Amino acid sequence: MAKVLEGPGMRLLSKWGMAVPHYVVITDATQLDNLAQANPWLRESKLVVKAHEAIGGRMKLGLVKVGLDLAEAQVAAFEMLGKEVSDVKISQVIISEMVAHDEEYYVAVKSTRDGAELLLASMGGIEVEANWEKVQKLEIPLGVDPKLSEVEALAKSAGFNDDLLPKVAEFSVKLFQCYDQEDGNYLEINPLVIKASTGELTALDAVTMVDGDARFRHPDWNFNFASEFGRPYSDNEKAILDIDTRVKGSVKFIEIPGGDTALLPAGGGASVYYSDAVLALGGTLANYSEYSGDPPDWAVEALTEKVCSLKGIKRIIVGGAIANFTNVKKTFSGIINGFRKAKSDGKLEGVSIWVRRGGPFEKEGLAAMKVLENEGFDIHVYDRYTPLTDIVDYAIKGGVQ
Amino acid sequence: MSIITNKETRVVIQGGPAGVNAAKRMAEFCHLSQIPFNLCAFVFPPSAGKTNEIPFGSTLVSVPIFKTVKEATKEFPEINTSLIYIAPNRALAGTMEALGDPNIQLISMITEGLPEKDAKKLRIEAEKLGKVFNGPSSIGIISAGESRLGVVGGSYDNLMLCKLHRQGSFGVITKSGGLSNEIMWICSQFADGITTAIGIGGDTYPGSDFVTYLEKFEKDPQTKVVVMVGEMGGDLEEKAAAWYAEKERRIKLIAVVSGYCQEELPKGMKFGHAGAKEGLHGEGSARSKAEALTKAGAIVPDTFGGLGPVIKAAYDDILAQGGLPLIPEEDIATRQLPKTIEEAIKDGDVFAEPLLKSSICDDRGEEPLYSGYAASELIDKGYEIPHVIGLLWDKRLVTPVEAEIIKRIVILSADHGPCVSGALVTIIAACAGISMAQAVAAGMIMIGPRFGGAVTGAGQWFSYAVKNKMSVDDFLSHMKKNVGPVPGIGHRVKSLRNPDKRVKALISYVKSTGIPTPHLDFALSVEERTTAKKDTLILNVDGTMAAILVDLGFPIDALNGFFILSRTIGLIGHWIDQKREESRLVRLFRYLANYTSTKRREVPPLD
Repeated sequence: MAKVLEGPGMRLLSKWGMAVPHYVVITDATQLDNLAQANPWLRESKLVVKAHEAIGGRMKLGLVKVGLDLAEAQVAAFEMLGKEVSDVKISQVIISEMVAHDEEYYVAVKSTRDGAELLLASMGGIEVEANWEKVQKLEIPLGVDPKLSEVEALAKSAGFNDDLLPKVAEFSVKLFQCYDQEDGNYLEINPLVIKASTGELTALDAVTMVDGDARFRHPDWNFNFASEFGRPYSDNEKAILDIDTRVKGSVKFIEIPGGDTALLPAGGGASVYYSDAVLALGGTLANYSEYSGDPPDWAVEALTEKVCSLKGIKRIIVGGAIANFTNVKKTFSGIINGFRKAKSDGKLEGVSIWVRRGGPFEKEGLAAMKVLENEGFDIHVYDRYTPLTDIVDYAIKGGVQ
Repeated sequence: MSIITNKETRVVIQGGPAGVNAAKRMAEFCHLSQIPFNLCAFVFPPSAGKTNEIPFGSTLVSVPIFKTVKEATKEFPEINTSLIYIAPNRALAGTMEALGDPNIQLISMITEGLPEKDAKKLRIEAEKLGKVFNGPSSIGIISAGESRLGVVGGSYDNLMLCKLHRQGSFGVITKSGGLSNEIMWICSQFADGITTAIGIGGDTYPGSDFVTYLEKFEKDPQTKVVVMVGEMGGDLEEKAAAWYAEKERRIKLIAVVSGYCQEELPKGMKFGHAGAKEGLHGEGSARSKAEALTKAGAIVPDTFGGLGPVIKAAYDDILAQGGLPLIPEEDIATRQLPKTIEEAIKDGDVFAEPLLKSSICDDRGEEPLYSGYAASELIDKGYEIPHVIGLLWDKRLVTPVEAEIIKRIVILSADHGPCVSGALVTIIAACAGISMAQAVAAGMIMIGPRFGGAVTGAGQWFSYAVKNKMSVDDFLSHMKKNVGPVPGIGHRVKSLRNPDKRVKALISYVKSTGIPTPHLDFALSVEERTTAKKDTLILNVDGTMAAILVDLGFPIDALNGFFILSRTIGLIGHWIDQKREESRLVRLFRYLANYTSTKRREVPPLD
């Protein structure tokens, strides 16, 4: 599942024949001068200016401004661009027309185990969540196109009537086509409105989630995926993401400022058990990380350096189950290099390191890790005979070694 | 007994190098379990028609590679299982091919990053056909002692530690590959091991889920307990709980769930597996899964660490109820994989007589050692080519004076123009379009008694004379009687009146160093005598080099090497020169050949 920002999201809707408000995405406020010459709507409509970044709660942060004329919009864009909001620099702004409308509606398509679910409601905005039981749902099995008559019946049961009903049904079918053809995971239009000036159903705001794994069959996806946790990726996270896309296996790194326990575990499954164990024992997480699929040692080394650079950490958990094919000796050599580098850079002061691992070349890997005991590291190395998450107990409670 | 895969399983692997690696691991398992290798074929169009060689015990098995699944199952109708190791963009088509084959009943996919839509399509198709589609992102399936599909189980040591050569009583279903291994290990430490372990993969919509396999385990009398490892997201654990609660079940269910951390982590964060998402306090969260499972009667330890004791308790229960005979443990130490020759030598198990001996250079470490000295250290400490020559030709570090003499010898013998036989041949070869190594080698073939090859001969006889304290007269008569012309004496163009400046310069430098030069002195006395007879019987460059190098202590057999080494510089230069100048093919003018053969005559009839 991968999130697509508003700009490229709008473009996907528009590609499949759905009307969207006029919009432009800019990186420099002065670009608006030329854009306004080419696009009369920028001069003629009231405008909305939003930070075009994956930041949650933009309204509260003052990163959404509505009802502006061109000059005001330019000022708003100028103020937003380059602003630092919770460690993130805003680099793009989206400016769209304000669409005058009366009623608001809701339509969405969601991936399910057997196909998809079309959701429709004759109310929009925050009304939808408040009246979730009124949302009408239609199961659409995989490989089957929804029949217009079925969608019309759905629209009818959602409370649409008269002229509007066939229009909403047609729009819903288009949204489904977009979902189906673009490998969507979740497409939600809220609100869907009738644009007063044209009488056309228009997607005023949308959530666009597509299947990132399907990128190989969508050469026109010329956008990067946005983060999904309410803030854009930091530079450190981007650096690891970049490595992740280039190497065999995977390396993952998400920072959680303020935590006291850093994670450097192996395996998508084990990493979550380690996270659980830290929290269960009263620790706080400084990051989520994992490496798996026998990634090259240099990738693990880069990940280790990022983990060692986390501020305020007291301990690092280098945990892992018994690997199937990840070479413990090689991946550990990456971690060891990372630790040595971090230490020579003056990091890891007062940080204890807790290691548990098994798998191919486990003896060699653990022995190499143990050498760090003699190099002034506060490191504790355990093998397969210590249960998976017991090192977290030792690390947080202290004592047993 | 086991589920899904057993001794009857016969496998085709679809895919390239990752599939070959899996095949090797599978062969190791068959070796441990003392069963026939269960892999019949590969399907990998780029290599169709070839074979992959898979080590099996101490032999190599050639496994044929086909272009299509159909061809593979036609050749091997016993194939009933396919493992998918195909990249995500081609995995759908490849798997559909396997599903469409009537012989194949089970497909397990290791491919990670398969689009969700493709995974759904495959599951629906498999359901329609009544086949099992496991994965995507599955580490594999293993039935202890019977069948291993994929790399599940890890390294050979781990297979032995986890007692995977024989059946236990615990079924295992996990999403995570690493944790499947961990659970097998726990089951063998705290109980009697596993029957079958299945990795269903961490994707959102796995082809087969917990319920698929719980139903099969329920019907397998050998399996007494099933250990299930889930994670947050989706509703697979809730479905498993509903299945377990539905009626009285024969199998005991132990389940552990992860993702409690999600309550405290930023919402929307992605975990290692695609399927690990959504859910917070509601459906799909770790808490709701754990609650549903507990309610259904499953044993749900609070943490992963709690699994060991719970598994032990379940095993003790079965034993107490007398439901299970203790499995007598066989000695499997003898089933170690055959060692490679290197390992056996290292462990002192065998003695292998070496085929050859090297006393100058050892390349077994990080970098080559020249007579014990690391090349990089020699460079760092300022040593030069003469020192390397000393180390590799005479196994010693030469002194600064010796190094200087060697350097001068190399410089003065590096080339002697295009007309001498060596250079001429190299040039002719270069003009004929022959590549450098061959053209230079052709030039070197010319080095012999008449060109450059007299150094060793001269050294040998000067050394013989000095060793036997011969007078110049005795020496010359000995040579005349037994050998012939003295090697190193005489020149085609140079003479006493037209001396070879290179020789004069070299001699005067060597003399100036003050080192003892008995051989050079002897050679000069010989020259004094021979030039008295004939002006051109001077000590030539070969003879001078030879006498000096013997004085420096170089072994006789090494002496020609100085000329060969030096002249190679020139020969390479001539080859490059011809290339650079784009020379044309050289053909001798007819007037330069003296034709003396018989005039044309009639060929007599054969017979």
